[in-house]
Amino acid sequence: MTLAASQRDFLAEISLSDDSPAARSTGMAIYRNAYRARLADALATSFDRTRRWVGDDAFAAASAHYIITHPPHSWTLDAYGDRFFEVLTELFAEDAEVAELAWLEWHMQQAFAAQDKPELSAAELAAADLLDAEWETLRFAMAAGYAAREVRHDCAALWHALGTDADAEVAPTPIEPTTLVVWRSGMSPHFRLLDGDEFSALGELAAGKSFGAVAAQAGEQGIARFGQWLAKWLGEGLFSAIRRG
Amino acid sequence: MTETIDPFTGFGLGLRKDHHADFLRDAQPVDFVEIISENFMACGGRPLHTLDAMRERYPVIMHGVSMSLGSATGLDRAYLAELKALADRVQPLWVSDHLCWTGIAGHNSHDLLPLPYTDEALATCAANIRMAQDVLERPLLLENPSSYLTFAERTMSEWAFLAELTRQTGCYLLLDVNNVFVSSINHGFDPHEFIGAIPADRVRQIHLAGHSEGPDGMLIDTHDAPVRAEVWALYQAAIERFGPCATMIERDDAIPPLAELLAELDQARNMAKVPA
Repeated sequence: MTLAASQRDFLAEISLSDDSPAARSTGMAIYRNAYRARLADALATSFDRTRRWVGDDAFAAASAHYIITHPPHSWTLDAYGDRFFEVLTELFAEDAEVAELAWLEWHMQQAFAAQDKPELSAAELAAADLLDAEWETLRFAMAAGYAAREVRHDCAALWHALGTDADAEVAPTPIEPTTLVVWRSGMSPHFRLLDGDEFSALGELAAGKSFGAVAAQAGEQGIARFGQWLAKWLGEGLFSAIRRG
Repeated sequence: MTETIDPFTGFGLGLRKDHHADFLRDAQPVDFVEIISENFMACGGRPLHTLDAMRERYPVIMHGVSMSLGSATGLDRAYLAELKALADRVQPLWVSDHLCWTGIAGHNSHDLLPLPYTDEALATCAANIRMAQDVLERPLLLENPSSYLTFAERTMSEWAFLAELTRQTGCYLLLDVNNVFVSSINHGFDPHEFIGAIPADRVRQIHLAGHSEGPDGMLIDTHDAPVRAEVWALYQAAIERFGPCATMIERDDAIPPLAELLAELDQARNMAKVPA
């Protein structure tokens, strides 16, 4: 048997599920056990709030399913949970807040260690001394770790309630579809729920639309509010840079 | 690869999150810290900021767990590029990884999996080490891992395999004394034969760690306890053969206050007769 074939067989054997036949040797059992334990531990570490929300048993079952259906592909164990919230969407179809919370946990961690970017301040934007024509075509680059998704539960309340060691006493409050945005400012990851109007503007900028185009969408009635939002976003560190033209 | 690594005879600790604040607040009595390379690759924010601050205060060694030098399908070039970028930033004393494979065909076990010590495995490892050294533009240190099974097709010992790799590639060795002891119990060889057979002039660093008892009398390299007496005795034999050598305590679980690890490190200093 070639080395490649031997390694494929070895990896297939250690990644078998719990209900597979016993390992052929004590040593193989050690490697098989270590494989599952390491991945389960990585998920429990990455999704601590989610684990406490659904309970240890339900989380262990979800982890076991994920470990079988999603073998790790990255060189870093830190990337292992990147599709866990998708699996939780299926496994907890009646409890959508579970996947929403897991998404938030995952992206807060990604933002924490995301590669550095500068942070655009209102003063820097003012100092750019843009002409009207330049504002029209101006585009914004988003902050380190920026991510957004729609949620239907008050994830902020859930996050904060689960932030302590005490058992959470919070109900997953349903809310109108809202956008949850995550990013890093300085060394700290942040998140905020944005209503539909605010995110429709921020989301367009994040998608690469020009300032002029988004301002035009706001219209005369909405332009003042758009200006207020822009000031707020700059203050929150949601942008890393501007691009003219 | 013709570059060499000069001997460095300091005493250090593996850098773990629990102790970041201790290391940055006060000058700790260590000659170096060893980071897990993967914890700082392709990242920014607080982790990279901490690493930069640490680098200003202490010499750093980069120790990896994901290079997969024994992989039959070769190395991950994107991984090597990220590792090279980190090494360029850190300017470490050296870069090390293990004599093992961690995955194949895109499936990563995140474990240090054992190799059969055959001519084919030797050729695979040698080619991979040469490639890594070319990309990193520096010689590697290769660590012996603990292992829990052996292969019927093996044609040489682990120590002969390591010695041949140093000869073929110019790499150096990171001797993990605890791993020698653990594997010697698990596979029934004399650990002193291992220590006596590896090329002394290629050993640049020693790891010390604790282990635990597994099933059927096997030992497991858990890094969750103080260094055992049998491992200290083997360390004594190692430094008698290799001379004072950069020595480090590894602790990855049940991490105690820093003072406990520093006291354990003092034991290594005392054995090597090097004052703190």
